[in-house]
Amino acid sequence: MGVFPVRAGRRRSPIVALAPAALLALIAVTPARAADATQWLTRVAQAARQYNYIGTIVYQRGNRVETSRIIHLNQDGKEFEKLVSLDGPAREVVRGQGEVRFFYPDAKLVRVEPRTFRNVFPSLSPEQQKSLKEYYNFKVVPGERVGGIAADSVVFEPKDGLRYGHRFWSDATTGLLLKARMVNERGDVIEQFAFTDIQVNAKVDKAMVEPSWPVVPSDWTVKETSAGDVAPHATGWVVTRVPPGFTKIMEGYRKLRGRQEPVVHLVFSDGLVAVSVFIEPFPAAAVPLGMQSARGGLNIYSLKLEDSVVTIMGEAPGATIRQIGNSLARR
Amino acid sequence: MNENISRLMDGELDPGELDNVCAGLRRPDAMATWTCYHVIGETLRGTPTLAASPAQRFAVRLAAEPTVLAPRPRPVSNAATWAFAAAATVAAITVVGWTAMSVLGDPPTAVAKAGEATAISASRVRPSAVSPDFLLAHQEYSPAAAIQGVGPYLRAVGTQVSDDPAERP
Repeated sequence: MGVFPVRAGRRRSPIVALAPAALLALIAVTPARAADATQWLTRVAQAARQYNYIGTIVYQRGNRVETSRIIHLNQDGKEFEKLVSLDGPAREVVRGQGEVRFFYPDAKLVRVEPRTFRNVFPSLSPEQQKSLKEYYNFKVVPGERVGGIAADSVVFEPKDGLRYGHRFWSDATTGLLLKARMVNERGDVIEQFAFTDIQVNAKVDKAMVEPSWPVVPSDWTVKETSAGDVAPHATGWVVTRVPPGFTKIMEGYRKLRGRQEPVVHLVFSDGLVAVSVFIEPFPAAAVPLGMQSARGGLNIYSLKLEDSVVTIMGEAPGATIRQIGNSLARR
Repeated sequence: MNENISRLMDGELDPGELDNVCAGLRRPDAMATWTCYHVIGETLRGTPTLAASPAQRFAVRLAAEPTVLAPRPRPVSNAATWAFAAAATVAAITVVGWTAMSVLGDPPTAVAKAGEATAISASRVRPSAVSPDFLLAHQEYSPAAAIQGVGPYLRAVGTQVSDDPAERP
């Protein structure tokens, strides 16, 4: 267990340490604020969809920092969003109805993703809600400030080494997420983003969220990504040593483009993060195997099992990902 | 061994395994792996303190006669298994590079530099990156990703020009 930033507070005198708790007790009676983790998550996810806002976001991963401009519009229940990189090449991501387009002008490339889940908060199963309570210390600390506005700081402190620590700051009034940080067991920041300025309820019109390239220039490449359709079904694959706190929330076959055979997809979640297991027939070509030292929160581990290749990925420490991979068996 | 080296670098190695793995690093091929992982990591992070020379040395050593780097003779050891191990090492290294690129999106220049480091004998293996389709399918289920809304896009804005080396020109 590492040094989670909020723990510093515990070393203060008991009276100082009690002050946030007293404030928290006061907050608990305010209906606008979330009383538990599930409520808070649901409220923040809803706020991200609901409000119109314009802001500047700083994103940090390791020692890299990037700044982007974000414009979000909810027009009659339909969401539109435009994110433009302010550093380096003017790359942008435009989310509209039906799809998301990623523009890379430096590479003359557009990547198109079908509009799927973004901002649609998955409803948590009773097991997931139980895991949230049992495996994270959930705390709300009001009275902080992000991007010039009053914010609640929300902490998900892991109780074991099988998950990362998460800290979020949400707008005290609207619930909009203003800052998010993920830390490892040593307390090092793995990844974080924060608004440096934001206008909530800004006046946004449709033209502001249109792509800079409404028509893809003829010399650009267009690439399509698709998560395919998933059919829930028993697959015969089982994880014999599921890390504590994780429960299986999905099992089925996924049809992906360019693959004849459907891919087996299992998903495990502890209520805050998910770990996916993909199983496909071992291809003729060489494939990467082993732990891939991903920086920035998402860990990926691949292994060969019988005549299959297994890929495990999730926003969890390597040990968690590895345990799932190494205890996979065919029933 | 390569996985243990990777875990050692990430600080994820069980303390009980430390002595064993450190002892294993005395082997030239393990040391080469260690060096190469660091070169790639640093290049991707844009802090190439080891510069190109260790990578070049590694390239030269890889290209050299297998017997030069062969581990102590063991009953099953022969040139073929060594070659396989070397290819596996290169595959693993290449994967680190490509994955960091495809998942986390390092700038093309850094990736190009990593490409130089990983191009060593890369023609021997044909790596495939983790499918972006998998990444997309996975994100659907992550509550933490869902509340961040814009989070996954932030990773993409500073990201790579290509997410699948097989499709690269």
